Amino acid sequence: MARKEVLSLQINGTEREVFAPGDATLLTVLRDDLSLTAAKRGCNQGVCGACTVMVDDAPVRACLTLAGACAGRAVTTLEGLGSDPVMQALQEAMIVSGAVQCGFCTSGMLVTARDLLAQTPLPDDATIRAALSGNLCRCTGYTRIVEAVHSAAQALREVTP
Amino acid sequence: MSYVLNPATVEQAVQMLASHPGARPLSGGASLVAMKNARLIEPDCLVNLAGIAALRGIARQADGSLRIGGLSRHRDLAECALLAGDQAMIRQAAGVIANRVVRNMGTIGGAVGNADPAADYLPVLACAEARVELAGPGGTRHLTMPDYLLGWYETALQPGEFVAAVILPPAGPGPSVYRKLARTPGDYATVSVACARVGEGVRVAVGACGPAPLRSPVAEGALAGRLSDPAAVAAFGAALVDLSDPVDDVRGSADYRRRLIPRMVAAAIRDVTEG
Repeated sequence: MARKEVLSLQINGTEREVFAPGDATLLTVLRDDLSLTAAKRGCNQGVCGACTVMVDDAPVRACLTLAGACAGRAVTTLEGLGSDPVMQALQEAMIVSGAVQCGFCTSGMLVTARDLLAQTPLPDDATIRAALSGNLCRCTGYTRIVEAVHSAAQALREVTP
Repeated sequence: MSYVLNPATVEQAVQMLASHPGARPLSGGASLVAMKNARLIEPDCLVNLAGIAALRGIARQADGSLRIGGLSRHRDLAECALLAGDQAMIRQAAGVIANRVVRNMGTIGGAVGNADPAADYLPVLACAEARVELAGPGGTRHLTMPDYLLGWYETALQPGEFVAAVILPPAGPGPSVYRKLARTPGDYATVSVACARVGEGVRVAVGACGPAPLRSPVAEGALAGRLSDPAAVAAFGAALVDLSDPVDDVRGSADYRRRLIPRMVAAAIRDVTEG
Protein backbone atom coordinates (compact mmCIF):
# COMPACT_ATOMS: atom_id res chain seq x y z
CA MET A 1 0.00 0.00 0.00
CA ALA A 2 1.24 3.41 -0.94
CA ARG A 3 2.40 6.08 1.54
CA LYS A 4 -0.36 8.20 3.09
CA GLU A 5 -0.90 11.67 1.69
CA VAL A 6 -3.42 14.46 1.93
CA LEU A 7 -6.07 14.12 -0.78
CA SER A 8 -8.45 17.00 -1.48
CA LEU A 9 -11.85 16.10 -2.82
CA GLN A 10 -15.13 17.83 -3.51
CA ILE A 11 -17.80 15.52 -2.13
CA ASN A 12 -21.50 16.37 -2.26
CA GLY A 13 -20.73 20.06 -2.69
CA THR A 14 -18.26 20.27 0.20
CA GLU A 15 -14.46 20.41 0.08
CA ARG A 16 -13.06 17.49 2.09
CA GLU A 17 -9.49 16.59 2.94
CA VAL A 18 -8.51 13.08 3.90
CA PHE A 19 -5.19 11.54 4.92
CA ALA A 20 -5.20 8.26 3.05
CA PRO A 21 -2.85 6.00 1.08
CA GLY A 22 -2.05 7.72 -2.21
CA ASP A 23 -3.37 4.74 -4.16
CA ALA A 24 -6.71 4.60 -2.31
CA THR A 25 -9.76 4.26 -4.49
CA LEU A 26 -12.57 6.77 -4.26
CA LEU A 27 -14.71 3.99 -2.78
CA THR A 28 -12.26 3.35 0.06
CA VAL A 29 -12.05 7.04 0.89
CA LEU A 30 -15.83 7.48 0.80
CA ARG A 31 -16.56 4.50 3.01
CA ASP A 32 -13.56 4.21 5.32
CA ASP A 33 -12.46 7.84 5.71
CA LEU A 34 -15.66 9.84 5.22
CA SER A 35 -18.21 7.28 6.51
CA LEU A 36 -20.34 7.76 3.39
CA THR A 37 -21.44 4.14 3.14
CA ALA A 38 -24.24 4.30 0.56
CA ALA A 39 -21.77 3.16 -2.10
CA LYS A 40 -21.08 -0.50 -1.37
CA ARG A 41 -17.94 -2.54 -1.89
CA GLY A 42 -19.14 -5.61 -3.77
CA CYS A 43 -16.74 -7.03 -6.33
CA ASN A 44 -14.11 -4.23 -6.28
CA GLN A 45 -13.71 -5.03 -10.00
CA GLY A 46 -16.23 -2.68 -11.60
CA VAL A 47 -18.62 -5.51 -12.40
CA CYS A 48 -21.38 -5.41 -9.76
CA GLY A 49 -22.30 -1.71 -9.84
CA ALA A 50 -22.94 -1.43 -6.09
CA CYS A 51 -20.37 1.39 -5.76
CA THR A 52 -21.77 3.61 -8.53
CA VAL A 53 -21.42 7.35 -7.81
CA MET A 54 -21.47 10.51 -9.92
CA VAL A 55 -18.20 12.20 -10.89
CA ASP A 56 -19.06 15.53 -12.50
CA ASP A 57 -22.10 14.70 -14.62
CA ALA A 58 -21.53 10.99 -15.28
CA PRO A 59 -22.03 7.87 -13.16
CA VAL A 60 -18.80 5.91 -12.60
CA ARG A 61 -17.52 3.04 -10.50
CA ALA A 62 -16.02 4.39 -7.28
CA CYS A 63 -13.99 1.18 -6.94
CA LEU A 64 -12.21 1.83 -10.25
CA THR A 65 -11.65 5.53 -9.60
CA LEU A 66 -8.55 6.61 -7.71
CA ALA A 67 -9.21 9.32 -5.14
CA GLY A 68 -5.95 10.97 -6.19
CA ALA A 69 -7.31 11.34 -9.72
CA CYS A 70 -10.44 13.22 -8.55
CA ALA A 71 -8.83 16.59 -7.82
CA GLY A 72 -10.95 19.36 -9.27
CA ARG A 73 -13.87 17.06 -9.99
CA ALA A 74 -17.27 17.05 -8.26
CA VAL A 75 -18.15 13.74 -6.62
CA THR A 76 -21.79 13.12 -5.74
CA THR A 77 -22.89 10.07 -3.79
CA LEU A 78 -26.39 8.89 -3.00
CA GLU A 79 -26.12 10.80 0.30
CA GLY A 80 -25.82 14.00 -1.73
CA LEU A 81 -28.93 13.33 -3.79
CA GLY A 82 -31.52 13.26 -0.99
CA SER A 83 -33.29 16.40 -2.17
CA ASP A 84 -33.08 15.59 -5.88
CA PRO A 85 -36.66 15.20 -7.18
CA VAL A 86 -35.78 12.38 -9.59
CA MET A 87 -34.02 10.51 -6.79
CA GLN A 88 -36.96 11.03 -4.44
CA ALA A 89 -39.36 9.67 -7.05
CA LEU A 90 -37.15 6.63 -7.58
CA GLN A 91 -36.84 5.97 -3.84
CA GLU A 92 -40.62 6.21 -3.35
CA ALA A 93 -41.21 3.89 -6.30
CA MET A 94 -38.65 1.35 -5.07
CA ILE A 95 -40.47 1.16 -1.73
CA VAL A 96 -43.94 0.91 -3.27
CA SER A 97 -42.86 -1.70 -5.85
CA GLY A 98 -41.03 -3.83 -3.28
CA ALA A 99 -37.83 -3.48 -5.30
CA VAL A 100 -35.57 -3.71 -2.23
CA GLN A 101 -34.75 -6.98 -0.53
CA CYS A 102 -31.31 -7.14 1.07
CA GLY A 103 -30.63 -3.61 -0.18
CA PHE A 104 -26.97 -4.10 -1.06
CA CYS A 105 -27.44 -3.20 -4.75
CA THR A 106 -30.01 -0.47 -4.12
CA SER A 107 -27.71 2.56 -3.86
CA GLY A 108 -25.98 1.73 -7.13
CA MET A 109 -29.29 0.95 -8.83
CA LEU A 110 -30.66 4.33 -7.73
CA VAL A 111 -27.66 6.35 -8.94
CA THR A 112 -27.67 4.53 -12.29
CA ALA A 113 -31.46 4.80 -12.70
CA ARG A 114 -31.39 8.52 -11.89
CA ASP A 115 -28.85 9.09 -14.65
CA LEU A 116 -31.06 7.12 -17.04
CA LEU A 117 -34.16 9.20 -16.23
CA ALA A 118 -32.15 12.42 -16.51
CA GLN A 119 -31.32 11.48 -20.10
CA THR A 120 -34.39 9.45 -21.08
CA PRO A 121 -37.45 10.65 -19.15
CA LEU A 122 -39.77 7.84 -20.32
CA PRO A 123 -37.62 4.79 -21.06
CA ASP A 124 -39.12 1.54 -22.32
CA ASP A 125 -38.50 -1.82 -20.71
CA ALA A 126 -35.51 -2.72 -22.90
CA THR A 127 -33.86 0.66 -22.27
CA ILE A 128 -34.22 0.28 -18.50
CA ARG A 129 -32.85 -3.25 -18.55
CA ALA A 130 -29.91 -2.21 -20.73
CA ALA A 131 -29.17 0.78 -18.49
CA LEU A 132 -29.24 -1.36 -15.33
CA SER A 133 -27.36 -4.28 -16.90
CA GLY A 134 -24.19 -3.23 -15.07
CA ASN A 135 -25.90 -3.37 -11.66
CA LEU A 136 -26.21 -6.87 -10.27
CA CYS A 137 -28.99 -7.87 -7.87
CA ARG A 138 -29.00 -11.35 -6.37
CA CYS A 139 -32.40 -11.07 -4.63
CA THR A 140 -35.19 -9.56 -6.67
CA GLY A 141 -34.90 -11.06 -10.13
CA TYR A 142 -34.93 -7.43 -11.37
CA THR A 143 -38.62 -7.35 -12.34
CA ARG A 144 -39.67 -5.08 -9.47
CA ILE A 145 -36.67 -2.83 -9.94
CA VAL A 146 -37.65 -2.31 -13.59
CA GLU A 147 -41.25 -1.69 -12.49
CA ALA A 148 -40.06 0.89 -9.99
CA VAL A 149 -38.11 2.81 -12.64
CA HIS A 150 -41.23 2.81 -14.85
CA SER A 151 -43.45 4.11 -12.07
CA ALA A 152 -40.92 6.77 -11.04
CA ALA A 153 -40.80 7.95 -14.66
CA GLN A 154 -44.61 8.13 -14.75
CA ALA A 155 -44.77 9.97 -11.41
CA LEU A 156 -42.22 12.53 -12.60
CA ARG A 157 -44.15 13.04 -15.82
CA GLU A 158 -47.29 13.83 -13.84
CA VAL A 159 -45.58 16.55 -11.76
CA THR A 160 -43.71 18.10 -14.71
CA PRO A 161 -45.93 17.69 -17.79
CA MET B 1 5.69 12.86 -4.12
CA SER B 2 2.08 11.91 -4.71
CA TYR B 3 1.16 8.39 -5.82
CA VAL B 4 -1.00 9.76 -8.63
CA LEU B 5 0.91 12.21 -10.81
CA ASN B 6 -1.12 14.60 -12.94
CA PRO B 7 0.80 15.81 -15.99
CA ALA B 8 -0.73 18.54 -18.18
CA THR B 9 1.09 17.66 -21.39
CA VAL B 10 2.23 14.56 -23.28
CA GLU B 11 5.86 15.68 -22.77
CA GLN B 12 5.39 15.89 -18.99
CA ALA B 13 3.76 12.44 -18.95
CA VAL B 14 6.63 10.95 -20.97
CA GLN B 15 9.13 12.61 -18.61
CA MET B 16 7.36 11.27 -15.51
CA LEU B 17 7.19 7.74 -16.90
CA ALA B 18 10.87 7.92 -17.83
CA SER B 19 11.94 9.05 -14.35
CA HIS B 20 9.80 6.44 -12.52
CA PRO B 21 10.43 3.02 -14.08
CA GLY B 22 7.81 1.43 -11.81
CA ALA B 23 5.08 3.84 -12.92
CA ARG B 24 2.18 2.99 -15.17
CA PRO B 25 0.11 5.35 -17.31
CA LEU B 26 -3.49 5.63 -16.08
CA SER B 27 -6.32 6.48 -18.44
CA GLY B 28 -9.94 5.67 -17.46
CA GLY B 29 -8.95 3.07 -14.86
CA ALA B 30 -11.55 0.53 -15.95
CA SER B 31 -8.94 -2.21 -16.43
CA LEU B 32 -5.85 -0.86 -14.67
CA VAL B 33 -7.51 -0.14 -11.30
CA ALA B 34 -9.43 -3.43 -11.47
CA MET B 35 -6.12 -5.26 -11.96
CA LYS B 36 -4.57 -3.26 -9.13
CA ASN B 37 -7.51 -4.10 -6.83
CA ALA B 38 -6.98 -7.77 -7.67
CA ARG B 39 -3.24 -7.34 -6.94
CA LEU B 40 -2.31 -8.51 -10.41
CA ILE B 41 -0.16 -5.39 -10.73
CA GLU B 42 1.37 -3.17 -8.06
CA PRO B 43 2.72 -0.05 -9.77
CA ASP B 44 5.02 2.27 -7.77
CA CYS B 45 2.97 5.24 -8.93
CA LEU B 46 0.48 6.17 -11.63
CA VAL B 47 0.78 8.85 -14.28
CA ASN B 48 -2.79 10.04 -14.77
CA LEU B 49 -3.24 11.05 -18.41
CA ALA B 50 -6.74 12.47 -17.84
CA GLY B 51 -5.64 16.13 -17.70
CA ILE B 52 -3.81 16.12 -21.04
CA ALA B 53 -5.89 18.12 -23.52
CA ALA B 54 -3.92 16.83 -26.54
CA LEU B 55 -5.21 13.30 -25.86
CA ARG B 56 -8.86 14.39 -26.04
CA GLY B 57 -11.23 14.79 -28.92
CA ILE B 58 -12.15 13.09 -32.17
CA ALA B 59 -11.30 15.20 -35.19
CA ARG B 60 -11.06 14.94 -38.97
CA GLN B 61 -7.53 15.72 -40.20
CA ALA B 62 -6.64 17.70 -43.32
CA ASP B 63 -5.87 14.46 -45.20
CA GLY B 64 -9.32 13.05 -44.45
CA SER B 65 -8.12 10.70 -41.71
CA LEU B 66 -9.86 10.69 -38.33
CA ARG B 67 -7.77 11.18 -35.19
CA ILE B 68 -9.35 9.64 -32.10
CA GLY B 69 -7.59 10.90 -28.97
CA GLY B 70 -6.59 8.13 -26.58
CA LEU B 71 -8.71 9.62 -23.78
CA SER B 72 -11.91 9.28 -25.84
CA ARG B 73 -14.29 7.22 -23.73
CA HIS B 74 -16.26 4.29 -25.12
CA ARG B 75 -19.32 6.47 -24.61
CA ASP B 76 -17.85 9.22 -26.80
CA LEU B 77 -17.19 6.77 -29.63
CA ALA B 78 -20.61 5.15 -29.28
CA GLU B 79 -22.15 8.60 -29.86
CA CYS B 80 -19.72 9.81 -32.55
CA ALA B 81 -21.48 10.68 -35.83
CA LEU B 82 -18.10 10.90 -37.62
CA LEU B 83 -17.92 7.09 -37.42
CA ALA B 84 -20.04 6.25 -40.46
CA GLY B 85 -19.96 4.09 -43.59
CA ASP B 86 -17.21 1.51 -43.42
CA GLN B 87 -16.31 2.82 -39.93
CA ALA B 88 -19.81 2.64 -38.39
CA MET B 89 -18.79 -0.74 -36.97
CA ILE B 90 -16.40 1.07 -34.57
CA ARG B 91 -19.27 3.07 -33.16
CA GLN B 92 -21.30 -0.12 -32.84
CA ALA B 93 -18.44 -1.93 -31.05
CA ALA B 94 -17.95 0.96 -28.60
CA GLY B 95 -21.65 0.80 -27.70
CA VAL B 96 -21.53 -2.86 -26.63
CA ILE B 97 -18.51 -2.64 -24.33
CA ALA B 98 -19.50 -3.51 -20.75
CA ASN B 99 -22.36 -1.19 -19.69
CA ARG B 100 -23.26 2.52 -19.63
CA VAL B 101 -21.38 3.29 -16.45
CA VAL B 102 -18.16 1.57 -17.49
CA ARG B 103 -18.46 3.22 -20.93
CA ASN B 104 -18.30 6.56 -19.06
CA MET B 105 -14.89 5.54 -17.71
CA GLY B 106 -13.01 3.30 -20.13
CA THR B 107 -11.06 4.88 -22.98
CA ILE B 108 -9.92 3.68 -26.39
CA GLY B 109 -6.30 4.42 -25.48
CA GLY B 110 -6.57 2.27 -22.38
CA ALA B 111 -8.38 -0.54 -24.17
CA VAL B 112 -5.90 -0.63 -27.05
CA GLY B 113 -3.01 -0.41 -24.58
CA ASN B 114 -4.37 -3.34 -22.58
CA ALA B 115 -5.02 -5.24 -25.85
CA ASP B 116 -7.26 -7.93 -24.43
CA PRO B 117 -7.75 -10.31 -27.38
CA ALA B 118 -11.46 -10.65 -26.56
CA ALA B 119 -12.09 -6.90 -26.24
CA ASP B 120 -14.27 -5.17 -28.79
CA TYR B 121 -12.03 -2.53 -30.36
CA LEU B 122 -9.27 -4.76 -31.73
CA PRO B 123 -11.26 -6.48 -34.53
CA VAL B 124 -13.00 -3.29 -35.70
CA LEU B 125 -9.72 -1.35 -35.70
CA ALA B 126 -7.94 -4.16 -37.58
CA CYS B 127 -10.81 -4.26 -40.09
CA ALA B 128 -10.71 -0.48 -40.48
CA GLU B 129 -6.93 -0.60 -41.09
CA ALA B 130 -6.41 1.82 -38.22
CA ARG B 131 -2.99 2.93 -37.01
CA VAL B 132 -2.03 3.34 -33.38
CA GLU B 133 -0.15 6.48 -32.33
CA LEU B 134 2.32 5.81 -29.52
CA ALA B 135 3.94 8.55 -27.46
CA GLY B 136 7.16 7.86 -25.60
CA PRO B 137 10.72 8.90 -24.85
CA GLY B 138 11.70 8.37 -28.49
CA GLY B 139 8.94 10.67 -29.72
CA THR B 140 5.76 9.68 -31.53
CA ARG B 141 5.41 6.65 -33.78
CA HIS B 142 2.56 5.14 -35.77
CA LEU B 143 2.00 1.42 -36.15
CA THR B 144 -0.54 -0.66 -38.06
CA MET B 145 -2.58 -3.04 -35.94
CA PRO B 146 -0.66 -6.14 -37.18
CA ASP B 147 2.64 -4.42 -36.28
CA TYR B 148 1.28 -3.23 -32.93
CA LEU B 149 -0.24 -6.53 -31.71
CA LEU B 150 2.59 -8.99 -31.12
CA GLY B 151 1.05 -11.79 -29.04
CA TRP B 152 -1.36 -12.61 -26.22
CA TYR B 153 -1.64 -9.29 -24.34
CA GLU B 154 1.69 -8.37 -25.89
CA THR B 155 2.03 -5.16 -27.86
CA ALA B 156 4.83 -3.12 -29.40
CA LEU B 157 4.53 -0.62 -26.51
CA GLN B 158 7.97 -0.07 -24.99
CA PRO B 159 8.48 0.90 -21.34
CA GLY B 160 7.45 4.53 -20.92
CA GLU B 161 5.24 4.55 -24.01
CA PHE B 162 1.46 4.87 -24.08
CA VAL B 163 -1.30 4.97 -26.69
CA ALA B 164 -1.85 8.63 -27.55
CA ALA B 165 -4.38 8.20 -30.35
CA VAL B 166 -5.92 5.90 -32.91
CA ILE B 167 -5.88 7.12 -36.52
CA LEU B 168 -8.47 5.94 -39.02
CA PRO B 169 -7.97 6.31 -42.77
CA PRO B 170 -10.54 8.33 -44.73
CA ALA B 171 -13.88 6.51 -44.52
CA GLY B 172 -15.49 4.68 -47.41
CA PRO B 173 -19.24 4.32 -47.99
CA GLY B 174 -19.46 0.86 -46.40
CA PRO B 175 -21.70 -0.43 -44.96
CA SER B 176 -19.97 -2.13 -42.05
CA VAL B 177 -21.07 -4.23 -39.10
CA TYR B 178 -19.76 -5.55 -35.80
CA ARG B 179 -21.23 -8.87 -34.69
CA LYS B 180 -20.50 -10.09 -31.18
CA LEU B 181 -21.47 -13.33 -29.55
CA ALA B 182 -21.21 -13.12 -25.75
CA ARG B 183 -22.70 -15.06 -22.85
CA THR B 184 -24.49 -11.97 -21.62
CA PRO B 185 -24.64 -8.32 -22.75
CA GLY B 186 -21.51 -6.48 -21.63
CA ASP B 187 -19.31 -9.56 -21.33
CA TYR B 188 -16.16 -9.97 -23.38
CA ALA B 189 -16.81 -11.66 -26.71
CA THR B 190 -16.78 -15.43 -27.15
CA VAL B 191 -16.25 -14.66 -30.84
CA SER B 192 -16.68 -11.34 -32.62
CA VAL B 193 -16.56 -10.35 -36.27
CA ALA B 194 -15.96 -6.96 -37.87
CA CYS B 195 -16.93 -6.68 -41.53
CA ALA B 196 -16.77 -3.72 -43.92
CA ARG B 197 -17.96 -3.65 -47.51
CA VAL B 198 -15.37 -2.39 -49.99
CA GLY B 199 -16.82 -2.21 -53.50
CA GLU B 200 -17.61 -5.79 -54.52
CA GLY B 201 -15.54 -7.24 -51.70
CA VAL B 202 -15.19 -7.09 -47.92
CA ARG B 203 -12.59 -6.63 -45.25
CA VAL B 204 -13.16 -8.99 -42.31
CA ALA B 205 -11.45 -9.31 -38.92
CA VAL B 206 -12.34 -11.93 -36.30
CA GLY B 207 -11.85 -11.22 -32.59
CA ALA B 208 -11.31 -13.47 -29.54
CA CYS B 209 -9.93 -16.38 -31.60
CA GLY B 210 -6.20 -15.80 -31.27
CA PRO B 211 -3.67 -13.35 -29.85
CA ALA B 212 -4.69 -10.71 -32.39
CA PRO B 213 -7.64 -10.27 -34.77
CA LEU B 214 -7.66 -12.76 -37.64
CA ARG B 215 -7.48 -11.20 -41.07
CA SER B 216 -6.54 -12.57 -44.48
CA PRO B 217 -6.18 -10.05 -47.33
CA VAL B 218 -5.45 -12.99 -49.67
CA ALA B 219 -8.75 -14.72 -48.82
CA GLU B 220 -10.52 -11.35 -49.06
CA GLY B 221 -9.11 -10.99 -52.58
CA ALA B 222 -10.41 -14.43 -53.56
CA LEU B 223 -13.87 -13.57 -52.19
CA ALA B 224 -14.17 -10.23 -54.01
CA GLY B 225 -17.04 -10.25 -56.49
CA ARG B 226 -18.42 -13.51 -55.06
CA LEU B 227 -20.10 -12.26 -51.86
CA SER B 228 -23.38 -13.98 -52.78
CA ASP B 229 -21.74 -17.31 -53.64
CA PRO B 230 -22.22 -19.62 -50.64
CA ALA B 231 -19.26 -21.81 -51.63
CA ALA B 232 -16.95 -18.80 -51.81
CA VAL B 233 -18.19 -17.50 -48.45
CA ALA B 234 -17.71 -20.97 -46.91
CA ALA B 235 -14.15 -21.16 -48.29
CA PHE B 236 -13.46 -17.70 -46.88
CA GLY B 237 -14.75 -18.75 -43.43
CA ALA B 238 -12.59 -21.90 -43.58
CA ALA B 239 -9.52 -19.78 -44.39
CA LEU B 240 -10.10 -17.72 -41.23
CA VAL B 241 -10.61 -20.87 -39.14
CA ASP B 242 -7.20 -22.04 -40.40
CA LEU B 243 -5.64 -18.81 -39.10
CA SER B 244 -7.32 -19.11 -35.71
CA ASP B 245 -5.68 -20.16 -32.45
CA PRO B 246 -8.56 -20.03 -29.96
CA VAL B 247 -8.33 -20.94 -26.28
CA ASP B 248 -10.62 -23.05 -24.10
CA ASP B 249 -12.00 -20.78 -21.42
CA VAL B 250 -15.10 -19.95 -19.42
CA ARG B 251 -16.66 -18.27 -22.49
CA GLY B 252 -16.43 -21.36 -24.69
CA SER B 253 -14.17 -24.14 -25.87
CA ALA B 254 -11.67 -23.68 -28.67
CA ASP B 255 -13.68 -26.13 -30.75
CA TYR B 256 -16.88 -24.15 -30.20
CA ARG B 257 -15.11 -20.97 -31.29
CA ARG B 258 -13.80 -22.65 -34.46
CA ARG B 259 -17.38 -23.67 -35.29
CA LEU B 260 -18.67 -20.15 -34.66
CA ILE B 261 -16.18 -18.39 -36.95
CA PRO B 262 -17.63 -19.44 -40.36
CA ARG B 263 -21.23 -18.94 -39.22
CA MET B 264 -20.62 -15.48 -37.82
CA VAL B 265 -18.46 -14.45 -40.77
CA ALA B 266 -21.19 -15.54 -43.21
CA ALA B 267 -23.82 -13.65 -41.20
CA ALA B 268 -21.67 -10.49 -41.16
CA ILE B 269 -21.12 -10.72 -44.93
CA ARG B 270 -24.90 -11.02 -45.40
CA ASP B 271 -25.35 -7.93 -43.20
CA VAL B 272 -23.21 -5.82 -45.53
CA THR B 273 -24.53 -7.23 -48.81
CA GLU B 274 -28.30 -7.45 -48.33
CA GLY B 275 -30.62 -4.44 -48.14
